[in-house]
Parts: sequence; C-alpha cells; structure tokens
Amino acid sequence: MISAVPAPRLFAYASAAILAASLAYGLLHMPLQFHDALDEMMAAQRSPSLRASFTSTFGETSYFRLLRITETKFFFDVSGGHYFASYKAFHIAVVAAAFVLLTGYLRVATGIDLAAALFALAVFTGLHTLVPIVKEAYPVNHYLQIMVFSLAAAHVARSRGGWWIDAAAIVMYIAGSLLLESGVLIWVVIAASRLLGRRGVSDRAIALMTLLLAGYLFVRFVWLLPNLRAMGNASGYFFERLEVAQIRERFGPGLTRFNVYNVLASIASVLFSEPRAGVFLFAKAWSMGDVPPRMWISIASSAITTALIGVAVWRRWVNRTMDDGSTDLALFMAVLCANAVASYAYTKDDIISVAGAFYAVAAFWAVRDLLSRPHRVVASVVLGAALLIAGSGWSIRTVGVNYLLRTQAFAIRNDWAWVPDEMQRHGTWPTEPSTQRFVIGLRDSALAMPVVNPWFVPRWMDRVFDVDYF
Amino acid sequence: MAGGSDRMRRVLAACAAAPPLVALAINVAILIPGAAGGTPPFWRGGPLTLSEAAALHDQGELVRLIAAGSDPNARYALRPGVLAARSLTPLEAAVGARRAEVVDLLMLHGATMDANNWTRLHCLAIQTGASDMVETVDRYRPNAAGASCEGVATPF
Repeated sequence: MISAVPAPRLFAYASAAILAASLAYGLLHMPLQFHDALDEMMAAQRSPSLRASFTSTFGETSYFRLLRITETKFFFDVSGGHYFASYKAFHIAVVAAAFVLLTGYLRVATGIDLAAALFALAVFTGLHTLVPIVKEAYPVNHYLQIMVFSLAAAHVARSRGGWWIDAAAIVMYIAGSLLLESGVLIWVVIAASRLLGRRGVSDRAIALMTLLLAGYLFVRFVWLLPNLRAMGNASGYFFERLEVAQIRERFGPGLTRFNVYNVLASIASVLFSEPRAGVFLFAKAWSMGDVPPRMWISIASSAITTALIGVAVWRRWVNRTMDDGSTDLALFMAVLCANAVASYAYTKDDIISVAGAFYAVAAFWAVRDLLSRPHRVVASVVLGAALLIAGSGWSIRTVGVNYLLRTQAFAIRNDWAWVPDEMQRHGTWPTEPSTQRFVIGLRDSALAMPVVNPWFVPRWMDRVFDVDYF
Repeated sequence: MAGGSDRMRRVLAACAAAPPLVALAINVAILIPGAAGGTPPFWRGGPLTLSEAAALHDQGELVRLIAAGSDPNARYALRPGVLAARSLTPLEAAVGARRAEVVDLLMLHGATMDANNWTRLHCLAIQTGASDMVETVDRYRPNAAGASCEGVATPF
C-alpha cells in the first residue's frame, strides 16, 4: 500500500537510505579493524561454542559484556571463513536500522515535517557522536547497537502496546545490558517515556525491567567490585588529555570532581560539540592562534541548533503544550542527563551516541516548531539565516563523514602492516598454528584492500572536515 | 496576510532543507560512481611506488608492495610534490620524510643498511633535524660504518 504512505515520508526514507548507503560504501572500503578487534576475533576462533563464549569472561574482568563476546563468536561461526563479509554485513545492517528507526520515529507527513526531517537527518549523521560508532568496530560496534535499541525502545514506548511490545522491550533491555553498560539507557528511554505519559510498554513490563536493572547493578557494582576498581580509561580534562595513572594521581580514588567534570563535559559535548572526549579543543586552538574552519563549523551548527531546541522547549513550557513534540523534547533531556551520568568514569564521543540520536529528534521538533508558526519579516530573515548557517554546517559535517571513513580505512590498513612483528614484540602472537594462519589471512585481506593515501586528498579537506582527534 | 505568511514559511522551510539536500546530492555523487564500479570522490588515489609509500607513511601499501615482489633496496621514482627528489630508495624516502617507524618497518621487511648507505642515511637524518630519525637510523649502524658526514652526498 505504497499509496497510503505520504510522499514527504517516502522522500525522508529515501534521504535516510542515501545517507546510510554512503556510510555503507565507506565501511565496505575499510578493512576489519586490528586494534580492539583482533583479540576478540582470535577469542572467537579459539572458543568451542557460543555457550563457552557467553560464559568465558564472567567474573574475570571489570566488564559484564557477555553478549558482546557471544555476538562476535556468532558472526565468526556463521561467516564460513568470510569474516569481512560477515562482520561488515552486520555492521551495515545496524547502521541501516539506526537510520530507518530515526526516520520512522519522526513520523513525517507534511512538507514542513520533511524540511525538519532533512535537517534532523543531517544532524544525526554529522554529529560527532555518530562517527566513532560507525567507523570503529570491535569487530562489531556495540555502542551503535545500544543506539538502535534505544531508538527502538522509543518506538515501542510510543506504540499502542500489547504483550509482544512488552516482550520486545524486555528482550531489548536484556540484550542491551549484556552487550554494554550503556544498555541501561534502554531502560531510561522506556521509563522516561512512561513518566511522560506514553503507555506502549505496560507497567508490569517496566516493573520487571526495573528488577532486572537492580540485578544488573548488583552484579556490576557489588559482585564485580574488585574488578571495577581497576577500571579506567584515558580521558580529557579541560585542555589536556590524562592517562589513567595521571587521573588517579591527581584526583584520587572514589567519586571526585573529575567525575562531575565528565558528566558536565558530556552534556556540553552533545549540545555544543565541545569539549570533545573531555578536551576543549576550540579554546585550545584559539589560544594557539589557529582555529581551523572545521571547529567553527562544528560549534556554530551545534550552538544554533541547541538555541533553536532551547526556544522550542521554552515556548512549549510557557504555552503548556503537551504533545508528541513536548514529550520527545523532555525525553531528549532525560536521555542526555542519563547518558552523561553513564559517562562519569571517562568521556568519549561514542559513549554519548544515544543522546546524540535523541538530539537529532529534538532538532526535528525545534525546526518543525519554527516552520509551523508565523514570524515577522525581520524575525524570518534572522531565522532563515540561522537555519541556513546551521544547516550548511551540519551538511558539511555530514559529507565529512565520508572523509573520516576514508582516513580511518588508511589508518586501519597501516595497523595491519605491523602484523605479526608487533604482536611478537608484545608477546601477543598466538602459539596455535591455526590461529596464526587465521591472523595472517586477515592481514593479507586487509593489505590487499585498495585504500587511498591521504596525500591524494586536497589539503583543505583536513581543515574543513572533522578529524579524528584522539 | 495569510498568503504572505505561507510564503515566508516556505522560504524558511527551504532554508532548513536546502543545505541537507546539497549534502544528499554530494552523497549521491559518491554512490553513483561507486555503484557503477568506478571510484567516487574522497576515494580517488593512484598507485604508489615503494619509495612513495615510504615517504607518504603508507605502511600498508609498503608491505603489500614488498610481498608482491618489489625490492626494498631498489631505487624508485617519486611524483613531484612527494619529496624534493625524482627518485630515492625506500629508506632514503622514509628518512627524508622523517618517518622513523617506516624505517623500522622497511628493516623488518628486507631493507638493508651496509656501511656505505648507512652513513648516507645517517647524514640525511641529521639534515632533517629530527632527533628521533637520527636515533632510529643509528640503531641500525653496521660495525664498519663511519659517522662523519664530511664529503657525504645526500639526496636533497
């Protein structure tokens, strides 16, 4: 019943398909990752079964990511030796799901909706929180899956409900929490939606999910506490990047002002594209007398969009408007806060990717609101200029994702050049001949992949398009 | 008044949608050549010689070329703009471009430094002014190699 679907909605889906296909093209021209991925694939190769993979790390590390290991094993086993095809196909499918879920969530029906949706799609693709979860895979990206689960959770929370909706919500929550700590955000989306009046998921199902959450928190923070204490990661602090030892030395153990900084920095990063991974890059570049255009583009597009979201929130608050838009804006704020709290230990762009997705939803409502009401001529000129500037910024950032994927492909291929010598030097070279053959096979496939040297890319792109800062 | 307001709204909608539409058009321009078997913008490059790969930090291409039979001790042509020389050995290119880790990679993959070419590379490393480059070359110093740069010709 294609005819029943409004044309603007079809156009929005087509636009999302183009953006997703563009990312898929980049992913297919990028070798499988070496760092943080090869160890996982070697473990999958050694593991005798999915069950063995599922239980392999329980209680042995600070992480409680049982499904992550199992998933890597699953795609290893079903690959039939075509590892690249298996892992990339899954990665691309998840990227596509993210675009479909976001576009579907916006419920585009009119031309005004379409204009706002195009803006939101550019925000979604161009925001710095999406890029890392697309370009990195270990060998699948779990942050990306959490984002997809969170968007799906928002869908089911908004649905008419039913036993299968409850079942889907519970399964997504269990899967998400066993994939990654950020899985707790799936519960946040559903619980916040319920508090905001959406009854798609029943109270009974939410109660069960809350019990599961309590159980998860017990395992993670009580049972695995000894491992948890040893956890850490390099992170930014104002103008510098600190290693784990430096963080411990400067701030000491337990909750400190560093954790407060991480939460606030994560919120600011989504809203203003600064700081990045905790480091205020713009201010740092300013103090050095050279702010590249890419920083102006990021800050201007984000600041204008956040201002528009702020206006939308304020107007709805003042007018006591309660509709889907108000609920989604409130949901964005809830997810942003929860996602920032989840970044308390260290800040990374990929950790706040769920908030980034809901930021795009908030941007949709902000632009839609603005286009739906009349303005005076002067206000129209100012708002038109603001939309053009912000939209242009997001569009440059969107196109720049292709550039980042190409850069990442070059970096990954270079990493493989050091196999097996570097692994032998670090004592990580496997002893089993079958695993050695497996690794050499992966290396040969990676090196055989044609990748463009950055020398062939015009220099201006380095300054206009976003780069990998850390 | 209503007509004017509608017109203004349409203009605002165009302001919101036009830049993303341009981005979409660029993405389509990337996808069409890709789908047709060609190479889209952002993904266009060209074949490199072993010395170019060494100068341009292309470690993956460097290892691939050596595995495909390129001699890591031979001299190869360089495109204009890569380095200020028309042809160099991969080691000279790596040292001239201050790529210390590429020197290590070349040495792992069959490049050799004898007494003659070591002195030449050592002097070239000093000429670059990069201390890590000098340290790297010095790690491979053969016993018989002299360290004086007096009268030693370097490629640049």
